Amino acid sequence: MEETIQPKFSEPVFNRSHGRLLMPENRYWPTRMWKNPWSLPTYRRGAAVLAGLLSGAAGAAWLLGEIGPRVAPLYSMAEQYALSYGIPLFLVQTAWTVIKAAVLLAVPLVNALFAVWWERKISAHMQSRMGPMYVGRWHGALQTIADGIKLFLKEDLVPESADKIVHLLAPVAVIIPAILVFAPIPFGRELVYADLDIGTVYVFAVGGVSVMGIIMAGWASGNKFSLLGGLRSAAQLVSYELPRTFSVIPVIMLAGTLNLSAIAGLQAGYWGGVLPRWFIFYPVVGQVAFVVFLIASVAETNRIPFDIPEAESELVAGFNTEYSGMKFALFFLSEFAYVLLSCLLMAAFFFGGGEPPLPFLGFLPSWAWFLGKTLVLMFCFLWFRWTFPRFRVDRLMDFNWKFLLPVSLLNIAAAGVLIWFLDCWAAGLLGG
Amino acid sequence: MKNYILFVSEAFWNTLKGLWVTLKVLFLPAITVQYPTEKLVPYPRFRGMLAYDAEACIACGMCVRACPSKCIALAKAMPVPQQELCSSSGQPVSPEGKRVPKIEWYTIDYGRCNFCGLCEEACPTKTKALWHSLDFEAVFSTREEMTRRWKRGDDLWGTARRSADGQFSAVADQIHIQDVPVRK
Repeated sequence: MEETIQPKFSEPVFNRSHGRLLMPENRYWPTRMWKNPWSLPTYRRGAAVLAGLLSGAAGAAWLLGEIGPRVAPLYSMAEQYALSYGIPLFLVQTAWTVIKAAVLLAVPLVNALFAVWWERKISAHMQSRMGPMYVGRWHGALQTIADGIKLFLKEDLVPESADKIVHLLAPVAVIIPAILVFAPIPFGRELVYADLDIGTVYVFAVGGVSVMGIIMAGWASGNKFSLLGGLRSAAQLVSYELPRTFSVIPVIMLAGTLNLSAIAGLQAGYWGGVLPRWFIFYPVVGQVAFVVFLIASVAETNRIPFDIPEAESELVAGFNTEYSGMKFALFFLSEFAYVLLSCLLMAAFFFGGGEPPLPFLGFLPSWAWFLGKTLVLMFCFLWFRWTFPRFRVDRLMDFNWKFLLPVSLLNIAAAGVLIWFLDCWAAGLLGG
Repeated sequence: MKNYILFVSEAFWNTLKGLWVTLKVLFLPAITVQYPTEKLVPYPRFRGMLAYDAEACIACGMCVRACPSKCIALAKAMPVPQQELCSSSGQPVSPEGKRVPKIEWYTIDYGRCNFCGLCEEACPTKTKALWHSLDFEAVFSTREEMTRRWKRGDDLWGTARRSADGQFSAVADQIHIQDVPVRK
């Protein structure tokens, strides 16, 4: 007589409510999973969530409408209100300027909060990981805030050999230009803090001041790696400033103005009702100028593949090495502020600012288009960072002086030819 | 000049190829297993923690001899009086008609076990009394805990000596992947 012995397992302790066991037949295995990702329910759900987020953001932008034209009436309303109470006008103007400055100051802060999380998620998914998943419940949405609090509570270390005052001032010298530089940037139609006529020159001039802070940081740390990082940074930023500025000159030649919002506004309209009149669509000149500007911007913001000033594997972290806590956070903030600035500039110079890419998409407000273009360009920055290895120092200089600079100079000449051609065409000298 | 243009265009093309690879992977699902909430169940031939059935064991000691690291020890139970034997199956049977284990105690020292599976191979009973389960989540905080002990009536995972009071108790703080109890 055969008796069957049931194995007496104790009850599984594994939490079935919010956990799951992956059985061998449907276990995670990339070669099998990547053949048909749409068969995975989690993948379909993720795609649906992404589409919902995008359309929700578009709907919110549509409901909000244009912000720029509504600001001036708000100010005149406040002015009249103040006059009726006998408050002097200069007080109102001062308060208005302070409010505008506070809003402008929030731009790099909010940008850093979002961009750090976005970078971590993008980098993780490019490496088939997930990135932060716990803080903030939904895909680590509050991870950056937790990191910020951590940095805020961290001990502020000043090395023994450091020059104390310069060490303290360096992050300030880096962050102040990074905030000031946003003043003439148009964030949409009529949505600009200071509508400078020399906006382009102002942006490049003020943005260049941050190099000083980086050299200060490298020098004051009293550390050979920091000093090397600072010097490399100086060499790199000064060299790449040239092709970066030269690549914008064709745009300025075509637009005939240095005012950033005017340059963005000039690109309204469509060729043949389909192709937008963006500067990137000007034959050859526009594309070359954009590529050179993009590469030089990546180099200007010290990001991989041009991150030799803060190369972790060779210089520890370059000029960042001796900084901790909020001082480090300021460097970090300024780096992401410059990334945002480069993307905003590219959107304004080459992608028509707030102009929609197709005529029927004009129902979305201009700031939404500006933001969308900026985010797509920012994605390019992250994309480059997680694709390319770092340049060697000499190759970096070769690339700049032997490729980018001649190409951008040639591009200026080509822009002259293009303008002559367009003038002839407009005057009816070509093809009747 | 021709070489220069060729070099530049080739570099440009290779750059685009690299960008394509990362973009492709970006839109493919991640392969991460979120461990505490998601667990991989190993393949059936996985050699995990040893499970021991005190009622199937005939206390022959084959596993003790097979073990290369000598981590298994056992003691036979005292012989059962003749009048309680049931002649039908040759197994000792208790007055209630159930089988009585032939084992007094059985220990496995996981500090020495190398999970080779020879003890399971050597076990002569028809349903193995000792076998590798799929459990890979054993946790030991002291050396004493690494010795698992089984007596009559213990479950498959045995008991371990608590370092706090020196008493043997069931292994409670261990999470088991035990939905797939492979038993040959």
